[in-house]
Amino acid sequence: MNRLVSIVLHGARIALGVTFFYAGWIKAQEPIDFARAVANYQVLPYSWNYLVAATLPYVELLAGTLLVLNRRVRPAALVIGVLNFVFILALISVMARGLDIDCGCFAPSGQGHTTALEALLRDLGLMVLVVLAWLSRERRSVASSS
Amino acid sequence: MTWKYKRIIIEAVVIFCLGVVVGLSVNHRMVIDAFAGKVASKAAPPADSASVAQYPVPTFLEEVLAEREEGALLVDARVGELYREGHIAGAVSLPLADYETQLEQFKQDIDPDRTLILYCSGYGCPDSFDLGQVLLEEGFRDVRVYEGGMPEWRDQGLPVEKGAP
Repeated sequence: MNRLVSIVLHGARIALGVTFFYAGWIKAQEPIDFARAVANYQVLPYSWNYLVAATLPYVELLAGTLLVLNRRVRPAALVIGVLNFVFILALISVMARGLDIDCGCFAPSGQGHTTALEALLRDLGLMVLVVLAWLSRERRSVASSS
Repeated sequence: MTWKYKRIIIEAVVIFCLGVVVGLSVNHRMVIDAFAGKVASKAAPPADSASVAQYPVPTFLEEVLAEREEGALLVDARVGELYREGHIAGAVSLPLADYETQLEQFKQDIDPDRTLILYCSGYGCPDSFDLGQVLLEEGFRDVRVYEGGMPEWRDQGLPVEKGAP
């Protein structure tokens, strides 16, 4: 049973890491397209969209890599958790304003349209993975200290 | 808060800052351009700034209405079928999908100094932006993108026409 829990927790850590690594990687290739995707949210002043597009993919890449490598798991999970929380707020604001936009979460140039609701549900699922990834470190530290 | 959690937060901040620094060092050109572009488009008339800008200037409904009064040409970047079903009154059709066949005629008909306002199916639709880049490369000097596009225009109850391009 313990083994099963451990597999689930570490599976969640790796899945979360791979997801954010992929999301960061694909957006880092097309920063201008991603800036437009950010601009679609109509939350930030024009130039700030470019600042976010320039930096966010690399934060995702770094945090995702650390999770996959099982290094600095909790700080990385915290970074991803906070980012994910901000994404959720942005998507709720999009839905509240009735904007019909692509979330720009992965491929910014819009291959495949993901609506705000689909993206919101996916982000809520990722939040569960964040908690599991956080706990994967707890179990290890408990096990090693006992 | 225990040291253990403080350390996690500090490390998280470090990870975040590292990502930001790497991102800025890779993309500093784009960020500098974006911030410079914003200042330039406010300080100089759009016709002047657009001649040096690589990207069409984003514009919003109030500005579209004002520029339309002053003779700006609205350009519909959606496919011809959508244009026929309904477009902004007075807009011409130049679908991104067919621009290669229609561009020569467009260049003959339209003065390159005229303000062009491109639109498509609203936020999240990239066609107007992509067409804007093409038109800037083709020598049009004042190209803007109306980001709200057809959905916002229709929702505001503004005049819409139907019919062939």
